[in-house]
Amino acid sequence: MRRSDSSLGRGGDAPPFASALWRRTPPIAWLAIALVLIGLMLTAVVGPTAAGQATLNGLVGAGYFALGAVGLTLVYGVLRLVNFAHGDMLTFGTYVTLGVTALGVPFWPSAAVGMIVTALLAILLDRVIWEPMRRARTSTLQLFLVATGLALVLRYSVQFFAGSQVRTVGLDTTSSLNFGPWHLGTLQLDVMLVGLATILLTGAGLRYTRLGKEMRAVADNIALAEVTGIDTRRTIRATWLVAGGLAALAGILYAASIGTINPNFGFTILLSLFAAAVLGGIGNAYGALAGGVVIGLSQEWSTLFFNTRWKPAIGFAILILTLLLMPRGIFGRKKARL
Amino acid sequence: MSADFWLGVGVTAGVYGIFVLGLQINVGFTGLLNLGQAGFMGIGAYAMGMLVTNAGWSIWAAMPAAVLIAVAAGLLVGLPSLRLRSDYFAIATIAFAEIVRDTFQNAAFAGGNQGIIGYDQEWRDTASWLLRQLAHIGLGGDTQLPLFIVVWLCFGLCLAGLKFLQASPWGRVLRAIREDEDAAAALGKNVLAYKLQSLAIAAALAAVAGFFLALNVTYLYPSEFDPTFTFLGYAVLVLGGFASYGGVAIGSVLLWSVMEGLRFLHLPLSTGQLGSLRFVLIGLILILLSMLRPQGLLGRKAEMQLR
Amino acid sequence: MIRSTLVGVALVASLSIASIPARADPVNLTIGKLLEVTGPLSDTGPSQDKAVKIAVEYANEQATKAGVAIQAKDIGADVQGDPQAALSAARSLIDQGASCLIGPAITPESIAIANGVTIQKRVTIWPVGTSMRLRTIKDEGTIFRTVPPDSLQALALVDAAIDKLGTAEGKVASVVYRNEPYGEGLARDFSAAWQAKGGKIQGPVVFDPAQATFDSEAGQTVANNPDAYIIIDYPDTYAKLGAALVRTGKFDPTKAFVADALAFSTVPNNIPPQAIEGARGTRGGTPTGTDAYKIFDDLWQKAGGVEHYSLDANSFDSATLCFLAAAAAKSSDPGAITDHVRAVTTPGAQKYYLSNLADALKAVDSGQKIDYVGVAGAFEFAANGDPTVSLFDIFEYQQGKLVVLKQIDASK
Repeated sequence: MRRSDSSLGRGGDAPPFASALWRRTPPIAWLAIALVLIGLMLTAVVGPTAAGQATLNGLVGAGYFALGAVGLTLVYGVLRLVNFAHGDMLTFGTYVTLGVTALGVPFWPSAAVGMIVTALLAILLDRVIWEPMRRARTSTLQLFLVATGLALVLRYSVQFFAGSQVRTVGLDTTSSLNFGPWHLGTLQLDVMLVGLATILLTGAGLRYTRLGKEMRAVADNIALAEVTGIDTRRTIRATWLVAGGLAALAGILYAASIGTINPNFGFTILLSLFAAAVLGGIGNAYGALAGGVVIGLSQEWSTLFFNTRWKPAIGFAILILTLLLMPRGIFGRKKARL
Repeated sequence: MSADFWLGVGVTAGVYGIFVLGLQINVGFTGLLNLGQAGFMGIGAYAMGMLVTNAGWSIWAAMPAAVLIAVAAGLLVGLPSLRLRSDYFAIATIAFAEIVRDTFQNAAFAGGNQGIIGYDQEWRDTASWLLRQLAHIGLGGDTQLPLFIVVWLCFGLCLAGLKFLQASPWGRVLRAIREDEDAAAALGKNVLAYKLQSLAIAAALAAVAGFFLALNVTYLYPSEFDPTFTFLGYAVLVLGGFASYGGVAIGSVLLWSVMEGLRFLHLPLSTGQLGSLRFVLIGLILILLSMLRPQGLLGRKAEMQLR
Repeated sequence: MIRSTLVGVALVASLSIASIPARADPVNLTIGKLLEVTGPLSDTGPSQDKAVKIAVEYANEQATKAGVAIQAKDIGADVQGDPQAALSAARSLIDQGASCLIGPAITPESIAIANGVTIQKRVTIWPVGTSMRLRTIKDEGTIFRTVPPDSLQALALVDAAIDKLGTAEGKVASVVYRNEPYGEGLARDFSAAWQAKGGKIQGPVVFDPAQATFDSEAGQTVANNPDAYIIIDYPDTYAKLGAALVRTGKFDPTKAFVADALAFSTVPNNIPPQAIEGARGTRGGTPTGTDAYKIFDDLWQKAGGVEHYSLDANSFDSATLCFLAAAAAKSSDPGAITDHVRAVTTPGAQKYYLSNLADALKAVDSGQKIDYVGVAGAFEFAANGDPTVSLFDIFEYQQGKLVVLKQIDASK
């Protein structure tokens, strides 16, 4: 599996404004400045209540996207795999959790079971599907097709057993916290906090733990990592473990806070997760956060001016716009750094 | 399992065939992972529909115009996004396709949630005339025959055209770009221009496929152009084989025969479970094919050695 | 003397036997279900499947009880939310002998199927979509709908709102709907009718069902404290939108009005009670005192499986009507059924209900014309196959249960 440009073609990477200032300032700084400026402009135009609430709503969306995108971006970073089945792993983990709660087990232990089972499934899939393909040095397109097929198998297996009718986790989705004129759902706040914590922990883990360093080594150059004595198979399994567990967590929290799901929900949210990951610079954990924030905020801010029916289109438009200005995403570099 | 049913499958297979010819030139011959093909198809089909119903054009004039519009869309999309890394290009194309679909669903000029209807009267008249001619030679049995014949005739023409292009110097440059872009660039070829042309041709083919879809279904509605269409197109591609235009026909007919044939699976399961099982099987086929015979039925293993 | 009496008796006996009408061959009817099993509308699949299933079971029972020689079975196919797949689904069902097709869920699928297969083969379809677009094609009498058309339901909603508010004049109705044909059509008709009566419209707020958050949409709906909210939605998205509405802290469910897609005897457990308790709404009405909803609900609960969902009663009625039409035609030939649908929904004829379905079957078997009144309303189909009876229930959710407050005739 080659690292250099893995897939079918090579695109350019020179941003349009090649001034020194642009090159020296890290993209995240530009992003933060831009967001704050826009936030201030909005406050001036529509007033602090509306602007503030829209910002809060956007951060809620960001929480969902970020949490869901972390596993996606991790797998891409380490394995160069565009995992189109990731959304359905969210679904799988959630339905396992629902199944366990139906046996009478309380919510959080069930969620733990869901996460463990999904993590194990991820490892099994790696053993059976991804590892043989890595050995055969298959192309991106083939991997994409296998992932698409796997997505179908996961989603419709869940539906075969659970049916396509809607289900609910049953937590109280109506409780909310009020700060002055603004409100935030309690469960939504939980999602945001867990999302933020997960990303920070993942980032820290990648930087400071031995496993994290091994993952980054494998992401950089797997052959070199092997040579330096890293057990790459173990590292890859660990990556899938974490990605699977995180996918399940994302799915469960999403289902719990939004109230109603059916087997399509993981796939439905997948494109937004990809958008967040790619926009942030796929392969970078902080990219998932940045991407989620950009998409979440831009969608909710847009509702201040445009009809809410355009929200999905706006999310994708922002993605394309960002890629035009920052072709490798916000945190993307020539060498993808986790 | 009547002839009527299988003719319907044949029409669908033909539509996908033309659609996938476009994917083949992108993926199999230029190395572009175009995931937005359904968006081009939607643009072509809706452009035709809108020209006929809103602007009162004849469908025979609207079709070429719609092809040009789709080609313009292809160039518009390609210019900024082709310089992206290929996986980012893929995501950008899918984002574009979704924006197109969302626009159709929300914009009043495109019919919005009500879609577009009533653009096919001229086709229906032509089809009746064709059916009468067919009856003279004893083939007047099924009303789907005119569309079936026209779709596959068109497929054949497109196939011949592409094969001709591929054998030409232009086609050789395309192949060179797929195998080693830097080498092609070093030899002085304007890689971006060739890629744009490839994308434009794919968009044109998608538009034509869109016309036939619109005529078959008689109703233009956004859900007909969702990413699943593209994904199933890729399933056809992988089944028929990379870098094989002829393989597209075989892949399409085979995939759709299996997919639709599975509707008649009789097991003691509920409709819901049978429906789910159908897609599980399609997914398994996709996985097994990609793992065990990635070059597809008519592709060659040599074509699979991408960098 | 005894011999002539015996001969006389024998003669009379044989004449009587000869005059008994020949027993018709039993009708074996196949009812096809066009279900959304996969695709964006797959949440409706299981309940639609169950609705037709229990309709067929009940009708079979009643036919046996009535001694009428007709039995039915139901088969299903997946329309995948896509008109192209719907065409194939319809063909596969017709291939397997379906004489009428219950469904599909949306008008693009209906039109694709009608233009592609069913008009030609004279097979009736019974779509659950309410768009008036369906009436723009010449269907040769093969399309019937048991769902009230948007134009009438909009008037009923206006009446329901006026009933609560006293008047429409100067009152602000905040309209919010799900971005798909049903929501858009009904919202548009309601807005026109409300404004015609002097009311004001806030919005409409349109939301995409696949969103991760609905807080902005909810915020816009409750902004400026409108006099009423008109919510046109389905149970899966209302669970999310409703929660978001409650979280705004400004939502008063007693000011909300919903349409038939959100009408259930018991509120499903995924919709938070604070989002719907005290809300009012409209649904197709059936003359009170016939217990139709109760019988339907009992059948539903007894069958186990999924909860009530949108428009399940309507498909139950469609299946029953197909069964009745086949009994009237004494045949499972699709064309014959098409020709007899109006014979079982004839205005002015004797009315029959779910509670005396057995008698209805006996009546049609003996050649009478009847007017069958279903669970979701009476029909008396117009020439274009839409119901003409504009009876609507205005209901309110009390303690999670639907309570009918009154019945109105929307056309008045």
